[in-house]
Amino acid sequence: MKPRLTRRTALAGSGAAMVGGLAACAPPNPGNVNAEAVIPPTDGPVTLSYWAWLKDLQKVADIFNQKQDRIRVETTWIPGGNSGGYAKILSAVAADGGPDIAQVELRQVPEFALAGALTELNRYDFAAQADAYDPGALSQVKVGEDYWAVPQDTGPVATFYNREVLEGELGLRPPATWQEFRETAGTVSEAGKNLITLDPSDGSYLISWIMQSGAVWFRTEGDGWIVDMTGDASMRVAEFWDEILAAKIIGTGYGAFSTPWMAAAGEGDVLASIGGSWADALVQSVPDAEGKWAVAPMPTWPDGYASGAHGGSAAAVLSTSKHPVEALEFLTWMCTDPEGIDAMIEYSGIGWSPAKDYIGETRQEPSEFFSGQNYNEEVILPMAEDQNLDWTWAPLMQRAAAIVGDGMTTAVSGEVPLVDMLPQTQTKIVQIMRDMGLDAEEAR
Amino acid sequence: MRSRSAPWVLLAPFLVVFIGTMIVPIVMAIGYSFSSVERSGLLGEGGLTNSFAGFENYVKALSNANFVESIGRMVLFGIVQVTVMIVAATVLALLLETANAKWPGFFRATYFLPYGIPGVIATILWSFLYIPGLSPIVDVLGWVGLEIDFLGPNMVLWSIANIVTWTYTGYNMLIIIAQLKAIPGELYEAAKIDGASGFKVAMAIQLPLIRPALMLTIIFSIIGTLQLFAEPRLMQTMSAGITSEYTPNMSAYAFAFQYNDVGMAAAQAVIIAVSAFLLSAVALGISSWTEKRR
Repeated sequence: MKPRLTRRTALAGSGAAMVGGLAACAPPNPGNVNAEAVIPPTDGPVTLSYWAWLKDLQKVADIFNQKQDRIRVETTWIPGGNSGGYAKILSAVAADGGPDIAQVELRQVPEFALAGALTELNRYDFAAQADAYDPGALSQVKVGEDYWAVPQDTGPVATFYNREVLEGELGLRPPATWQEFRETAGTVSEAGKNLITLDPSDGSYLISWIMQSGAVWFRTEGDGWIVDMTGDASMRVAEFWDEILAAKIIGTGYGAFSTPWMAAAGEGDVLASIGGSWADALVQSVPDAEGKWAVAPMPTWPDGYASGAHGGSAAAVLSTSKHPVEALEFLTWMCTDPEGIDAMIEYSGIGWSPAKDYIGETRQEPSEFFSGQNYNEEVILPMAEDQNLDWTWAPLMQRAAAIVGDGMTTAVSGEVPLVDMLPQTQTKIVQIMRDMGLDAEEAR
Repeated sequence: MRSRSAPWVLLAPFLVVFIGTMIVPIVMAIGYSFSSVERSGLLGEGGLTNSFAGFENYVKALSNANFVESIGRMVLFGIVQVTVMIVAATVLALLLETANAKWPGFFRATYFLPYGIPGVIATILWSFLYIPGLSPIVDVLGWVGLEIDFLGPNMVLWSIANIVTWTYTGYNMLIIIAQLKAIPGELYEAAKIDGASGFKVAMAIQLPLIRPALMLTIIFSIIGTLQLFAEPRLMQTMSAGITSEYTPNMSAYAFAFQYNDVGMAAAQAVIIAVSAFLLSAVALGISSWTEKRR
């Protein structure tokens, strides 16, 4: 009699297969492209694929495609970063596929490099063109001496405010210093309105404010990381916001540009947002706001920088790309050539220009929406020029921002003030970095 | 001989898909959960190696305060939400199955209707009723002096519970009604002859006989609670109270796709799956134990 497949043998078989499978599988590891030889330029035509959540990016690529017949760029829209785009990119790279170029938020670039998903650009002579980029943008894609992506749009922080209510109705001025911010927020709060509202779980605001104060949370030293979240520059920001939160003079229920914020801003109940320059486009969707809003510089400390960086994204050449030289050629055009910048502003509505000397043609004119103010040249340009260039993003910013956000949330309820949260967070982050297999230590 | 191979041939298409999309991912996830990565260089550019980590990821997951908190939050959610929902579904089913219910078909369809709306759409729909300034509910409560912040950190869990209850009560009600319909008419007749009231009939006849249906809905609901993801993830953008590791599933998602720690994400996913298995087993155990004692 032939051996039959009984339930028991089937079970034993699948058990053995399971054990074998377990031994064979390890998390995706895209290999070590940055240790291998550089890929030479290709003779003949090349088609590049580019995944991004910028709208109408193909129209920008088409301008480049028409200029020459060697490189053709095809774009594919993906959901924005955490809404699924990152999962899609990383999965594709892990499967050894994916596009040549992908959009990655600036603060996320080192994390992608850590995942083995990026091509280091100095290997393709990116440093030679570094002068064409805005230093504030460039510093955000740099770790140690390596460049991991091409900056594509940035977000120098400024104050966007409802001039009609703040100046007209309440007789106040947008705060020029953080000291003034506290007084203004108090007065606005007494009038039954909020100067700003924060989503405390969104750590990115606090991080950009600390960056402006002059802190450098992550430094590299040789092959190791030094984490310093408790220096004077960080702690004065923590103390300041502890006082603001304790006094309950700003809103903490929802973040800027969320649906409830839009409703409240339209009613004139929330008067401002202090965040990245890309907010200008969002403010324009506040109901009934035309001609009423204006832009002012970020409030400052007596020392420190004029502004911080908030949001913005880079175009990264993925480690699975077969045409890094051509990809870099296209990105250089898109991110430094006036034609590329203007196209990105017109079609994709990017944030601040990544190029050094060109902010975009339309941005040199007064804005009708912001009551005729020429805010780009008058306000945002100085904000972009005085940035904390020593700031380096660490390869765990999602995690760090989540921890800072959790910390802010507990600070709002008064459980753990920010001055205690930062030292705790520093210890925690060093531990996480070590768990990730990195060399890290706390600053002394 | 031919008859012996026939089932396998017929099953083959299913088996290929089943193994490819169910068994392989599960085996891989279990594999990932036992591995960790070591890197050299600032960003691992000096090379990285995968190594066997034993139960390290599990220990780390269970000692991660956020993950433990998310489990606690889910348990609390489950205890309150599942109870409220099952009681509501049972009461609705009993009311619709009483002899003097008016238009039972119409109401059955109405109560079941929310289940036809995808969870994502339901969440968006409800969130407009939660947002101050847009919501008529908040406005009306404000007029009578009740200031409720539906999206506040303490309230938002129950706002989510409300959405889930709204969506699934009708569905569970339908399962219970199906079982009620299977109760033989003679039992009701006998009860009538004995002079039992409607309430007595419900307590002494209907409730004991729909136990299997109740058990089924409870287990479905427990598993549903463990899977809690879409509603909180969507409401995250509207509420400051929802962190990226709000529920265990969101935590696994965050570790996999945001923190880039596949090993930890896999360990958390395995913990969630094992918990679902254990909780269902416990629920069934309690059920059969009480059954035997009667």
